[in-house]
Amino acid sequence: MTDLRIQIGNIEFKNPIFTASGTFGYGNDVPDFVDVSKLGGIFTKSITLHPREGNPPPRIVETPSGMINSIGLANVGVDHYMREMVPSYSTIGTKIIMNIAGSTLDEYAEIIRKMESISSDIVGYEINISCPNVKKGGMEFGVDRSLTAELTKILRSLTERLLIVKLSPNVTDIAAIATAAEECGADAVSAINTVVGMSINPTTWKSNIYTVFGGLSGPALKPIGLAAVQKIFHSVKIPIIGIGGITGSLDVIEYFLAGASAVQLGTVNFQDPSTGERMIDELETYCKDVSIDSISSLVGKVKN
Amino acid sequence: MLIEQCKIIRNEEIAGGIWEMEFSAPGIVSYYTGPGQFLEILLDNKWSFTVRRPMSIANVEEKRITIIYKIFGRGTTLLTESKVGGILDILGPLGNVFSGWQGNYVPILVGGGVGLAPILNLFRECQKHQIHSKLIIGAKTGREHFMDHDPSNGIFLTTDDGTLGNPGTVMPSLKKVCADIDNPMVFACGPLPMLKGMQDFVIQNKIPAQLSVESYMGCGTGLCQGCAIKRRNVKEKAHSYHERYSLVCMDGPVYSASEVSFD
Ligand SMILES: Cc1cc2nc3c(=O)[nH]c(=O)nc-3n(C[C@H](O)[C@H](O)[C@H](O)COP(=O)(O)OP(=O)(O)OC[C@H]3O[C@@H](n4cnc5c(N)ncnc54)[C@H](O)[C@@H]3O)c2cc1C
Ligand SMILES: Cc1cc2nc3c(=O)[nH]c(=O)nc-3n(C[C@H](O)[C@H](O)[C@H](O)COP(=O)(O)O)c2cc1C
Repeated sequence: MTDLRIQIGNIEFKNPIFTASGTFGYGNDVPDFVDVSKLGGIFTKSITLHPREGNPPPRIVETPSGMINSIGLANVGVDHYMREMVPSYSTIGTKIIMNIAGSTLDEYAEIIRKMESISSDIVGYEINISCPNVKKGGMEFGVDRSLTAELTKILRSLTERLLIVKLSPNVTDIAAIATAAEECGADAVSAINTVVGMSINPTTWKSNIYTVFGGLSGPALKPIGLAAVQKIFHSVKIPIIGIGGITGSLDVIEYFLAGASAVQLGTVNFQDPSTGERMIDELETYCKDVSIDSISSLVGKVKN
Repeated sequence: MLIEQCKIIRNEEIAGGIWEMEFSAPGIVSYYTGPGQFLEILLDNKWSFTVRRPMSIANVEEKRITIIYKIFGRGTTLLTESKVGGILDILGPLGNVFSGWQGNYVPILVGGGVGLAPILNLFRECQKHQIHSKLIIGAKTGREHFMDHDPSNGIFLTTDDGTLGNPGTVMPSLKKVCADIDNPMVFACGPLPMLKGMQDFVIQNKIPAQLSVESYMGCGTGLCQGCAIKRRNVKEKAHSYHERYSLVCMDGPVYSASEVSFD
C-alpha cells in the first residue's frame, strides 16, 4: 500500500488531491455523480464579507489549452455561507478549506473573526491575495511583499486553523512573497492563481471578456505553475500546494517533483468534476511502479 | 446528470450547414425530464476545446438521443467529422424544461437557427399528447430548412431572403398566428435578436411566453459561474448574490419572457 497521506501544519489529509477555489463551488453543491469523499480536500470559492453578484457577461472564453475568466468573485457572502453552507460540512466526508477574499485588510480580518465565532468543521483558510486593495488604489495585495506580510500577520493572530496564502503569478518575484507569508506565520502557500490574460474578437474588435482582462487557467498555465513552485521551494520550508493546468496524475507527479506537497485541480473540473477522484488510484499505481512507499518522498526531487 | 460515453448511431447533414446526430445514451435518457433540456459535448482532442459545447436535446427515442446542430465554428465543424460507431463524451441532461404547454393555451412554438432543436422536441411532445400547436421556423435562406412549409397543418417556415415559405423573420408570422388565436402561449428559442423581438412583442401583448436562451457556457454544472445572463427589472441597488444575474446552466435555459434581459 502506497501512503498518499500528507501533512500541512497540524492537519493530516488522506491524499494530496484538492480542488481549486472557484472551480468546485462551496463543495456541497457539486453534481451528484461526484464522490467528494475521495478527495483530500476542497477549497471553496472565494467568500467575501458581503454577497457579490459578480461581473457582467461575457465572463469566460476558451483559449488555446485553457480559458480566461473574469467571474468577479460572485459568492453568497460570509453570513449566508455560515448559515447555509457550513453545517453541511459535518457529513461531507472530506476536509474543507474556506477561501477568503477582501478589498481591505479589515474585510479579510472581519471574515475570519466571524468564522472563528462559530464552531465549524472547516480546517483552514486559504487567503486569496490576488484582490485589488481599494485603499492602495486597486493594487493587488499579492504583488506587494509588505502588504502580504501585514495581512498574513493580522490573520495569523485571529485563528489557529490552517492559514494558507494563495500566491499570484503576476509578480516579479513570487518567492519573495512566499517568504513574507512564511515569516508571518502562514502554514503553507498555494501557487498559482490565474495569469492575467486577454482574448479579442477580430470581427467585432471587442475583448471577449466584459472586464477586458481576465485570468488564464488550464493546461496553458502548467509550465508557469511548475516554475513558480520550484522557485518557491528553494526559498521556504512550509509546504507548497501546486496549482495550474493539472489534468492527469502525471501532472501531479511533476508538481511534486518541483516541490509541491499537494495540488489543486481547477479548470479540469469544468470538463469533468470527478477527475480528482480517479487520479487517486492512478497515483497509487505510479508510486508502486516506481517503488516508493510514500508520495511525500517525491517532493522537490527534480534532478537539476 | 452524469457523464456518459455515447456511441454515435447517425451523423448527417439534413439541410445546408445543419446536421443531425443520433447516439445511444441510456444513462442520460434515464434522467431526462423533457423538452428544453440540453447536453454538454466534450470534443476530441479535448484541450484544443477546453469547454464542452452545449447542444439541446432534439428528440429522445427509447435509449437514443438526437441533436440538431448548425456549423458555427471550430467545434461544430469537428462534430461533423464524427464517425458512426465512434464515441462522444457527453454530460447531461442539464437545465430545466418548457412548462405550461399542457395547460389551457394553444402553444405557439418558434425556432430560429440553432434554436430549432428544443422547439422541434417540444413540437413532437405536443403531438404525443395530442395537443395542437403551431410551429414557426425561421432561417436565413431556404436551403437551411429541412421541413415542408405547411400552413394548413400549422407549420410555417420563414426565410430572411424569401426563398422559402413566408419572407422575413419569424416575427410577422408570429404576429399573424397569434392574432388568430384566443389564448396563445409562446415557446421560443433562437438567436438573440429574435428573442429580443419576441420578448418585446409578447410583453406588449400580454402573451405568456417562455424563452430558451443561450450564453457562453463553461461547464454546465454551475461550478464555473460563467454563463450569467442579466435578469429583468432588477432593483437599482440589488446587491445580494443571484439577484442581478442568473446562471443559464442551472436556472435556465428556459425562462419566462419577463424574467431575463437581453440588453
Ligand atoms: C443551452 C444551449 C443550447 C444550445 N443548443 C444548440 C443546438 O441545439 N444546436 C446548435 O447548433 N447550437 C446550440 N447551441 C449553440 C452552440 O453551443 C454553439 O453554436 C457552439 O458551442 C459553437 O461551437 P463552435 O466550436 O462551433 O464555435 P466556436 O468556434 O467555439 O465559436 C463560435 C461562437 O460560438 C459560440 N460558442 C462557442 N462556445 C460556446 C459555448 N461553450 N457556449 C455557448 N456558445 C458558444 C460563441 O458565440 C462563439 O463566438 C446551444 C447553446 C446553449 C447555451
Ligand atoms: C472560473 C474560475 C474561477 C476562479 N475563482 C477563483 C476564486 O474565487 N478564488 C481564487 O483564489 N481562485 C480562483 N480561481 C483560480 C483557481 O483556483 C486556480 O488557481 C487557477 O484556475 C489555476 O488552476 P487550473 O489551471 O487548474 O484551473 C478561479 C479559476 C477559474 C477558472
